[in-house]
Amino acid sequence: MTATESPERRSMGDRVYDAIFTNRLWRSIFRSGYPNTPRNQMLAVATNVFLHLHPTRIHRTHVKITHTFCLGGLSFFLFLGLTISGVLLMFYYVPSVERAYEDILALETDVRFGQLMRNMHRWMAHGMVLTVLMHMMRVFYTGAYKPPREFNWVVGVVLLVLTLLLSFTGYLLPWDQLALWAITVGTNMVGSAPLLGEPNRFVLVGGFQVGQSALIRFYTLHVIGLPLMAAVFMTVHFWRIRRDGGLARPL
Amino acid sequence: MAAANTQPVAASRAVEARKRRQREEELLVWPDLVFIEFISAVLFTVLIVALAVLVDAILLDRANPAVTPNPSKAPWYFLNLQELLLHMHPALAGVIVPTVALIALGAIPYWDNTAEGQGEWLSTPRAWLNTYVGAGVGSVGTLLLILFDDAQHAKMWEKLTGTDWPIPALRNLRAIQNEIPWPESWLKVPLGDKLLRTDLLGLPKISLNVNIPGLIVEQIIPISTMVGLPILLSIVAWKAKIAQTKRDHMILQFSGFIAVYVTLTIIGTYMRGEGLALVPYTIFAGDH
Ligand code: HEM
Repeated sequence: MTATESPERRSMGDRVYDAIFTNRLWRSIFRSGYPNTPRNQMLAVATNVFLHLHPTRIHRTHVKITHTFCLGGLSFFLFLGLTISGVLLMFYYVPSVERAYEDILALETDVRFGQLMRNMHRWMAHGMVLTVLMHMMRVFYTGAYKPPREFNWVVGVVLLVLTLLLSFTGYLLPWDQLALWAITVGTNMVGSAPLLGEPNRFVLVGGFQVGQSALIRFYTLHVIGLPLMAAVFMTVHFWRIRRDGGLARPL
Repeated sequence: MAAANTQPVAASRAVEARKRRQREEELLVWPDLVFIEFISAVLFTVLIVALAVLVDAILLDRANPAVTPNPSKAPWYFLNLQELLLHMHPALAGVIVPTVALIALGAIPYWDNTAEGQGEWLSTPRAWLNTYVGAGVGSVGTLLLILFDDAQHAKMWEKLTGTDWPIPALRNLRAIQNEIPWPESWLKVPLGDKLLRTDLLGLPKISLNVNIPGLIVEQIIPISTMVGLPILLSIVAWKAKIAQTKRDHMILQFSGFIAVYVTLTIIGTYMRGEGLALVPYTIFAGDH
């Protein structure tokens, strides 16, 4: 699979091309050459674990931006961005009532790019709630929930709930007045359910009011429990898109 | 005999033709899709970095359990529920409505399992019409209900005529409980401890007393409104030939739901100030 059909007259460009894309290191990683022929383009998608989320071919209407507005993809993109910025924030943040607020202050003043990291994490979090809601609307208005995609719609609803919970648990972490009282109002809503409401609120908050136990519970859910669940459901979501025959098409 | 022979051949030719046509309509994911994804990822990275450079995330004073801010608000995407909380029993607004709404949302494809309008934006004949009607009725209806519960009609009357609102029981929802001379015996109807057998769960026994006017105002009217009005909308739209198919009704109801959700969220965010009174409000106002 060299670039030229007649190896006798290879130009400089061909030599460089072959040196980069046919050597043993490249081949050990990517299996196929640079995707410049239809065959290699399909191989590139089919043999790469990340690109393999896609089929190798796709209907032309689905490539139009106005069909999906990239909203599902953007939700996923924001999830990845939140994971990366979130890990960086975890380097500086200790989930304790004594330290949390000071850590955020220090992040904003002492840590290089700390304020930027926090801002990005916050805006991406708000953005993800919006893109997920809008993605749901685009799926609805394109009638893409209909059989055989019913179950993937249900998986989507679970992802919506997980997205809201991720955002809600993160809201408490800065431990400022906004955080404390928003979570107090929110968890009190849970507490108002008949019979099981108050016990549930107690488990969620870990006490009668939002304090250290609530902070550590929300933190743990926010950085590991909920992201793991979201990742699992996203895996199912993407898998199902392909199993259901790609994006919905008019019959 | 001949007919029996040609039939499968013709059918398989049709399948062949369809397959070929479909192949021609298809593009390769690399480069056609992968590049779009790459470009939008770059675009949004730039956008987010720019936003993060320009606008700082909010940070108020250190959390203080002794100082309750007025108003205290949930995160914005729950302000729709917090708004509902002002108009009905907390268990209804905080737990039952969101649970039922999520289950109903998940059930959409099991109600509307027709293939109609699949895979294209609002492609059925009356799709846009139902979107407009649902969204219009949902948002205006929500707004009117909130204005009613805030006694705006009575305040307007008083401003215009200079006299008291003549029907005190219809000043707002709560007035139905407070302004009507309900018989004393209705305020505390004992149901005993046989109804909720919490003792079976090892919890203390609950002796139920029902306040009928309270029940009407906090539960029966809100539930009837939230269930009844959407049904009424569907019936009217059906009679008026606006919504004729399952997909039509689904679009009507979903658009209505989204409109209600958005309206409640906007009012909860920007129109609830001190004491959650209906006044313009922004979180950045004042001295934080
Ligand atoms: C974290 C949240 C979510 C992520 C990351 C996500 C991701 C995606 C992606 C990447 C696609 C491919 C097409 C596109 O971009 O539109 C997709 C399709 C789909 N999503 Fe989601 N999604 C999420 C939430 C939801 C929600 C809330 C629903 C519905 C309630 C939903 C239902 C669907 C369905 C039915 C499809 C197939 C659409 C079709 O066949 O045209 N998803 N999702």
